[in-house]
Amino acid sequence: MLPFLFRRLRWFAITLFCVVTISFFLMRQVPGGPFDSERSLAPEIEANIKAKYNLDWPQWKQYLQYVGPINLDDDGLFGDRSGKPLGGILTGDLGPSFKYRDYTVRGVLSESLPISIALGSVAMFFALTLGLSAGVFSALRRGSGFDLIARVGATIGIALPNFVIAGFLIIVFSFQLEALPVAGWGSANKLVLPALALGAPFAAYIARLTRTGMLEVLSQDHIRTARAKGLPEWLVLTRHAIKGGILPVVSYLGPATAGILTGSLVIEKLFAIPGTGMHFIESALNRDYTMAMGVTILYTVLVYSLNTMVDLAYTLLDPRIKLEEA
Amino acid sequence: MLGLGRRASSHFAKDEAKLAALLSDAKRFKGESLWQDAWRRLKRNRGAFLSLLFLIFFMGLSLIAPVLPVPSPMALDLVAEPQPPNWPWEANPRLAENLDPARKAKRFGLYSTEAKGAFADNGWQHRSFIDLVRPMAPGETEDTLQPAAEVSAFVQEISGRKPIVYVKPGEEPGTVLERHAVVYQSSDRSRIRYVKGEQQIPVRLTQMLTSAGTTAIYAEWLLPGEPPLTEAVEELGYTNEGVVGVTLPEDPTELTGTVENDRLHLASRLDGKLERRFSIALKGADTFTLEGARVAWGDEWPTDDEAWRNLLEPPAEPESAMDVESGTEPGDEPEDPTAAEPEEPTLEEFLALARLWTGEGGSLQLVKNGKRSVAFSERTATAQEFLPEPGLGLRAKAEEALEAGGLVATLASVDHIEGTWDLNWFDRQLVKGRAALFGSWQTGPLLGTDGKGRDLLSRIVWGSRISIQASLIATLFSLIIGVTYGAFSGLMGGRIDNLMMRIVDVLYAVPFIFVVIFLLTMLSEMGVDRMKVFYVVIGAIYWLTMARVVRGQVLSLKNQEFVESAKVLGASTSRILFVHLVPNVLSIVIVYMTLTIPQIMLFEAFLSFLGLGVEAPQVSWGLLATDGTEAISAIKVFWWVVLFPALAMGATLLSLSILGDGLRDALDPKLRGKD
Repeated sequence: MLPFLFRRLRWFAITLFCVVTISFFLMRQVPGGPFDSERSLAPEIEANIKAKYNLDWPQWKQYLQYVGPINLDDDGLFGDRSGKPLGGILTGDLGPSFKYRDYTVRGVLSESLPISIALGSVAMFFALTLGLSAGVFSALRRGSGFDLIARVGATIGIALPNFVIAGFLIIVFSFQLEALPVAGWGSANKLVLPALALGAPFAAYIARLTRTGMLEVLSQDHIRTARAKGLPEWLVLTRHAIKGGILPVVSYLGPATAGILTGSLVIEKLFAIPGTGMHFIESALNRDYTMAMGVTILYTVLVYSLNTMVDLAYTLLDPRIKLEEA
Repeated sequence: MLGLGRRASSHFAKDEAKLAALLSDAKRFKGESLWQDAWRRLKRNRGAFLSLLFLIFFMGLSLIAPVLPVPSPMALDLVAEPQPPNWPWEANPRLAENLDPARKAKRFGLYSTEAKGAFADNGWQHRSFIDLVRPMAPGETEDTLQPAAEVSAFVQEISGRKPIVYVKPGEEPGTVLERHAVVYQSSDRSRIRYVKGEQQIPVRLTQMLTSAGTTAIYAEWLLPGEPPLTEAVEELGYTNEGVVGVTLPEDPTELTGTVENDRLHLASRLDGKLERRFSIALKGADTFTLEGARVAWGDEWPTDDEAWRNLLEPPAEPESAMDVESGTEPGDEPEDPTAAEPEEPTLEEFLALARLWTGEGGSLQLVKNGKRSVAFSERTATAQEFLPEPGLGLRAKAEEALEAGGLVATLASVDHIEGTWDLNWFDRQLVKGRAALFGSWQTGPLLGTDGKGRDLLSRIVWGSRISIQASLIATLFSLIIGVTYGAFSGLMGGRIDNLMMRIVDVLYAVPFIFVVIFLLTMLSEMGVDRMKVFYVVIGAIYWLTMARVVRGQVLSLKNQEFVESAKVLGASTSRILFVHLVPNVLSIVIVYMTLTIPQIMLFEAFLSFLGLGVEAPQVSWGLLATDGTEAISAIKVFWWVVLFPALAMGATLLSLSILGDGLRDALDPKLRGKD
């Protein structure tokens, strides 16, 4: 397992390097910058601001400074203008936010990330419980009314953008039934609608995968054997069928987490949730480059580590798969 | 081999003709191809086949959208809120009065409206571009170009709005081209509401209805030297702006007249001119409406309001709430209450007065019995008489100011982009076809309208064009990259394969959505067309899975005999790749394509939601879905704005996914030949 993790780590480093480098140089190719505000500043003040964020340096030097770990000086040596010897993203310092002048990117992210994670995990929980149970039931009652409804629901869930689903949810639960708040953050009932909307497409997909997987497993020989020796149906199900039936779901968890992270951009905007996704959109539009890059890096790390975890989990569930192939 | 070549010795076909037929049959016989087999199996799969039919039907509709008699997808009508669907069997309360009963019966029994203008109706965001060339400042290099403050100030002065500036090196060395974009809002081409009523007094000016809804904002938008407009409170009624000449009545003295409406438009923000439109209803044996319009500065209006009023008004009623005085001219205060009871005016008098009002450059028309037999194209021509071409005023001002000196820059170009829909040649032909087929007839709001009064059915049909086009092009793009990359990687094998697949792995781990958003914001700041970026970037993302799938196929194919024999025959790598391998992976590629298109459509919707999709006045399904979510409010549920775009999108994506599943089964070699 360790060699696998090491190899993953190596590729992780390469990926991150690519992301950082490409986005860093890309954003500096674009005319204008974060300080082209409405008011044009006096040249001296502008120069000072630029100096504060090291924007007066050549690009390669800014890049080295941004990556770290050694802070550069005007002469290119140790110690930057702030006097600290170490800095840059290698030391976990994502730099100052260009727009929120008094905040560091890390500060903003550490405030908003728990919110996004909470939303994402609840959405994932919804997706898994809804998807798995619907999938298992419709496989067991194949051809029944429930099966039909679940399948239609699943196809609709896959075919609609999550914000449209959110729109229907708001109309039904907030305006017609007046049961849940429309938007906001801070209490448990405000979490329900966004998490449902965020999880819905994934629940639909999981339901479909589970149904297919369960149908395949249920037709296999060992299930027939288990039934033949007189095991009650629920034991057949829990002990023999489910484990094999949800394998496809596990391999789907990687893309699903990535999708939920992305989907939360929209959902956070729609429900006015102060999470990381919202910060990303705003920073990209405001050209708050350090912030946008910070979020991109954060999401790369998240997606990559979650994917690795999913791969590990996969081997635990299915002994036929070796980590070397994963 | 079977002896078919030997003539006249066949046991079954003794005569020459039959033998020849048999021979050619035998030569032509190849067995059922993969595609024929797949098609046969697809036809048996009812769901997939129906989906295919639906998709063909829908794509056909979207292809010929300009010929369909639906309203313009961007024709604004500043109604206060979305209007509900007007089902075919219901009368349209808003439009019934404008209908000719005879025509109504003829046209499929549908309640309809007249086409208002061509498709190039006025948009809701338009902008002027002023390009100025200035010499490079000392110390400035091509890498450190900055907009010059005085140039921006100049543009702001002549345009009355803070411009957005792009800077790039000029064509001549040592010069800088500054492009200033001055964005105007929908309300800049104002939609002034009018006061309407049987005995209403024609108030000079009523209302600027700004989309922001506040005068405070409007006040900032006024051009220097432009007369301020005051706002009014009420918004009343609906009128169809009619045109064209009719014969004059036999005996004009029988007529009585009232001023139906009187309103002031801002004819052109760039010219700063105002346009006054009014109509007078004349009642007699026939009903006539006299409609006039004039474009002029506010202070160029004729001043003898008295005669006008005395002629038309009954004894004045107390001033109503919606009579708002205009600050434009002092002579425009509310009417004199002591005015004498007017005699019944003659048509000549009406015309004389109306001409006085419209003056030179104005226009006056008479409409008889509400009949407007206006041809499709004539309507636009008339509208252009009213509205001088936008952009002219700005150009004149810029030229004038630059001639006066003070700024070291030359004017390169002034351009004005209305929020119009660019129709290409094909679409224009279709529009002509529509005019020939349906004339000015168009459907009513069958699926309702959105918050800006735009017809929802029309927007769904037109929006499908962009959505389908975007997803097809992006899919094709990803297809080309993915198939080439995957096939090459699989064919080479070994170290190259390993490296290429590692690169794919790395790219997989990049959260591309972030990169895409990043790119879209950056590149659209640089002035690159967003949809082009969209095609390329999306294509560049979705090739990854395709490359993996194709590589897997190629790996299993490349050791088969036909590839080896091609190698032995000395075929080059590229020939083996494109002639022998790619056709063999096509089936799986097609399956994957049908699954990629929905993803891209959803992604387009996602970007539209974030405001990074197509730009108004264009419309796509993503934009419609976004509009739908924005129309959700607690006060009233405008379900149609949410439901219909979602239905269109859902149905299409659903049939695509069913078709994809069906194709996968149909093209599965394991199931080949079975049913």
